[in-house]
Amino acid sequence: MEAGEDFGPWLARQLKLVDMTQTELAQTVKVTRAAVSAWITGRATPRPETIDRIAQALNTDLATVHTRTTDTQAGLPVGWYHRPGHVDGGRELGNAAAFAFDADVSVLARETCQNSLDERLTTHGQPVRVRYTLHELTGETLARFREAIHWDDLYPHYEASRAQDNKVGRVIDAGLRDMYEHDRLVLLRVDDYNAAGLTGDDYGDGRFAAVVRRQLDSHKSVSTAGGSYGLGKATLWATSRLGLVLINSTLSEPHEGRTERRVIGRLDLPWRQVNGEPCAGPAWLGRPDPDRPGAKVVRSWWADEEAVESLHLTRESGEPGTSFLIVGAHDVASLADDSSAAEGDEAEDDDSIQRMHRRLVHALGTNFWAAMVGGGDRLPLLEASVRTLRNGAVVIEEKRVDPMVTQPSRTRALKAFLDGTTVEHLTESGQVAATTVPLNLPARGGKRVSMGEHRAVLLVTNAEDADDKPNRVVAMRGNRMTVRDTAVPGLPLSVNPFQAVLLTGEAAGMQAPFAAEAEQFLRAAEPPEHNKWGQTEELTLTYSPSAFRRISGLTRETNSAIKALVARPKKGSKQGGGRLARTLTVGATKKRRRLSAATMPVLEELDAQILEGGAWQVIGEIKVPAGGRDWRLVPVAKFDVRSGPRPGIAWAELVGVDNCQVVDGALRFSASGTATFRGVTDPTTHAVRTSLSGLVVELRTGEGESAS
Amino acid sequence: MKVFPYPRLRGTVSLRVDAARVKAPERSREQLDSRARSVVERVVALGMAETEDWDTATLTVSATIPSKATEPGAPWSDIAVVAVLTDRSTNTRVTSRLASDAESGREWRGELQMLRSDLSDRADLTVQVVATVEGVPGRIVGEASDDWIIDVGSDVPTREQSFEIKEVGFAKGPRRLQNFTDAPWIVNTSGALPTVHINTDFEGMTDVLEAEGRGPEGLVNAMMVSQMAADVWIAVFHSAIGDLEIEADGTPLFPYGWQGEVLREMLADVVPDRTLEDALREVHRRRVGATGWAELQPRIQYAAMRRAEVPRALLETVRGLEKLKREDEA
Repeated sequence: MEAGEDFGPWLARQLKLVDMTQTELAQTVKVTRAAVSAWITGRATPRPETIDRIAQALNTDLATVHTRTTDTQAGLPVGWYHRPGHVDGGRELGNAAAFAFDADVSVLARETCQNSLDERLTTHGQPVRVRYTLHELTGETLARFREAIHWDDLYPHYEASRAQDNKVGRVIDAGLRDMYEHDRLVLLRVDDYNAAGLTGDDYGDGRFAAVVRRQLDSHKSVSTAGGSYGLGKATLWATSRLGLVLINSTLSEPHEGRTERRVIGRLDLPWRQVNGEPCAGPAWLGRPDPDRPGAKVVRSWWADEEAVESLHLTRESGEPGTSFLIVGAHDVASLADDSSAAEGDEAEDDDSIQRMHRRLVHALGTNFWAAMVGGGDRLPLLEASVRTLRNGAVVIEEKRVDPMVTQPSRTRALKAFLDGTTVEHLTESGQVAATTVPLNLPARGGKRVSMGEHRAVLLVTNAEDADDKPNRVVAMRGNRMTVRDTAVPGLPLSVNPFQAVLLTGEAAGMQAPFAAEAEQFLRAAEPPEHNKWGQTEELTLTYSPSAFRRISGLTRETNSAIKALVARPKKGSKQGGGRLARTLTVGATKKRRRLSAATMPVLEELDAQILEGGAWQVIGEIKVPAGGRDWRLVPVAKFDVRSGPRPGIAWAELVGVDNCQVVDGALRFSASGTATFRGVTDPTTHAVRTSLSGLVVELRTGEGESAS
Repeated sequence: MKVFPYPRLRGTVSLRVDAARVKAPERSREQLDSRARSVVERVVALGMAETEDWDTATLTVSATIPSKATEPGAPWSDIAVVAVLTDRSTNTRVTSRLASDAESGREWRGELQMLRSDLSDRADLTVQVVATVEGVPGRIVGEASDDWIIDVGSDVPTREQSFEIKEVGFAKGPRRLQNFTDAPWIVNTSGALPTVHINTDFEGMTDVLEAEGRGPEGLVNAMMVSQMAADVWIAVFHSAIGDLEIEADGTPLFPYGWQGEVLREMLADVVPDRTLEDALREVHRRRVGATGWAELQPRIQYAAMRRAEVPRALLETVRGLEKLKREDEA
């Protein structure tokens, strides 16, 4: 029989859960205490009829005892544990780490993707797959979900929190109102696959505790890690208006003999008093831990498939990784965005799932395009996709974020580098030029000595139309997340639009000298947002107060290397004449486009058809501006030719239809506004067959002037 | 406004030159640096080639056409996209079919080869979409909205063209200049580009020409340069207006090359408040007609002065002089 876990540890935990000693069990199932001890230590297994009695004793069914994939439902039920208020009376009215970021899905995408990249399982060289699911619940589905998370137990806590007049209170109030008034709740789920999962003990050091129990603990496993502050996970809670995140993790290394469906929920609320009990802030959804005093603290539990289903936490496969479910997700920045969108646009309100979907795709494309690029014999580091559901039905199909679509030229540049197809000088568009720029690394410990020179790789290629702003350089480290995106200053206007990518640290390849040191140095120079390199406290402490100057040096070198590749060297005036030369030029691209006189009527619209007999009939619409009715204009018809004089055509008939009349072949307008005339050409004056050439109709000023 | 007796493509056809190379006989071909192409100005400067005596040049041209062109149900069939290079001065027209390389049918790419001997100076490159419409093959259903300039001689890919300035001693110079030994400068508009000949034999000419700064020499330089420029602009305007192609009904056509550019830039000041075509017709009518040419001269002078920035130069000179005077007195 397929068993989830060895019998011994499983039984030991069940006994603990139902608060039963080995002796008590021995008495109930009528065996010796030594036999129970032998089962638990794995020296023996019970006979089938004994298992029957064990199931009865544990108040569960036979299958659970046989499969042992979940805990028995006996014992203490899953529920919420709220951390009691501090005995010293201290109050935390919010999580400071959450205020470090905007509650914005693009920040969330950045932080979560970065964490997934850092926790990627590298043994097979496979990418980590990250999937974002926006799921809007309404009506019955919403009601069932609320039941699953024990909403009724939570509600008094929300009531107490929303009543507080502070930022967190107002956010919670808005979240509750949105849920009750519109009967909807947006869940944003972030899944990663082929990642480490939340391994480790419930309380001790490890990934699980770092994410679920602790603040500012950055449990990073690799030197190229993007994150370093342990702040990023706060964005998960900051994105939830209800401060609630549920977690289901499949572990890469077993804990308690298990890997699948380790579930816990965490709620971040400010200090509050409910039923006379002060609560410090955070609360956890889990199974009460009998090992803790009073069995009140809850720990993660190994849930069954039904339970994860009801919590919307089902993972698609047994591949290791973690699913975060953000309950009541909202997106602050999108309110500021798209302000040009029509007001009262009912279909898309500010927190609409469609808009959040678009912003997620955009954020992933902008920040992680490079991690999604593979080349040569290397697979991409990351695959990301976004999908949107409503009550389980697909609203927007799941789509992989394709770096080739979001960042075509930069993707091409990186791919060429990985494939080894870069060139030294650009000749054809589509080529990628590669060069290196030096980064002089300081020694650690504040001494003014250099440790060595890292050569970062600079890639330059022509920009495509689909890119956003051209003439920029994006820089990244080994995790290939865009850290810096800056314009290259001081370029001549005539430069061909380009995109540049600066690969530093381990992104610069295996051969790059001092890659690991550069990685460390630049990571120290990143602020929590990981969006630039500059002076940070860590840089000052680990290196020296002037260490950031070396980054300015790198920037300078980068910009001049780009200029050397794309800018034309200034030519000295080869001809004489001093300052005269500057004034004698023609044909500069449209310095000023001169509008035709405002009072002159213009031909707005021309409707033409060929009549039987080969004549053109044209109906022209003329816009007559105010004060323009005194003009006398002659409509002239000609055949269109490639070059040289155009053969003229005579009118057989020319009449004013509306607001104008024809006098001596010229149009006289009665009033300003729109005027219409009709003309029919004389086919006998056609130089070529009517159907073979285009027709040009112009209005010509005709004051006393005739064809001469 | 143009109309056609058959359906045409709406939407823009765009065109890019992706690469350029030149080849001289019995020499390996030279791939031009991407800086010889300006995507912004849409110019290729073949003069940047290091191969001096190249005889053929090859451009890699790509075009993007609207997807409507190749969708089923379009009113045309047998779509072809051709790159067309025309040099109006040599009356050369070179075409090359592009091949569609993407599944979407929007991207077309191909090579266009040209002979150095076919081109004089600047040629225009465009792209045309040709199809069979209503049973008539070879109809142009679309054309690139912006063309490219292929400049054979220039080593800078800019649309802007500079007139030539030659510093030469008239006394011992070419025979045609020897008649003007006492003139400080002469403007000649008969060549491919207007040329200013500066007489280096004229006493002090070179010094004044190279003078800079706020001193007396600099002021004289500014004055003289603007005066010379005004001379040039008057001369080139007359030269351009004097040699127009006329249609059967008397309509003058804008000339090609620098003449056309000169007229476009100056006509707005010569005949204000009219469209350029109208202004050209008006100026031409006065020039060849019985009356009005003499009356137009002040306007031409005015346009040339504005273009040469004479007012600004004079103002600066006057102020500079006053300043110098004050400094002397102090």
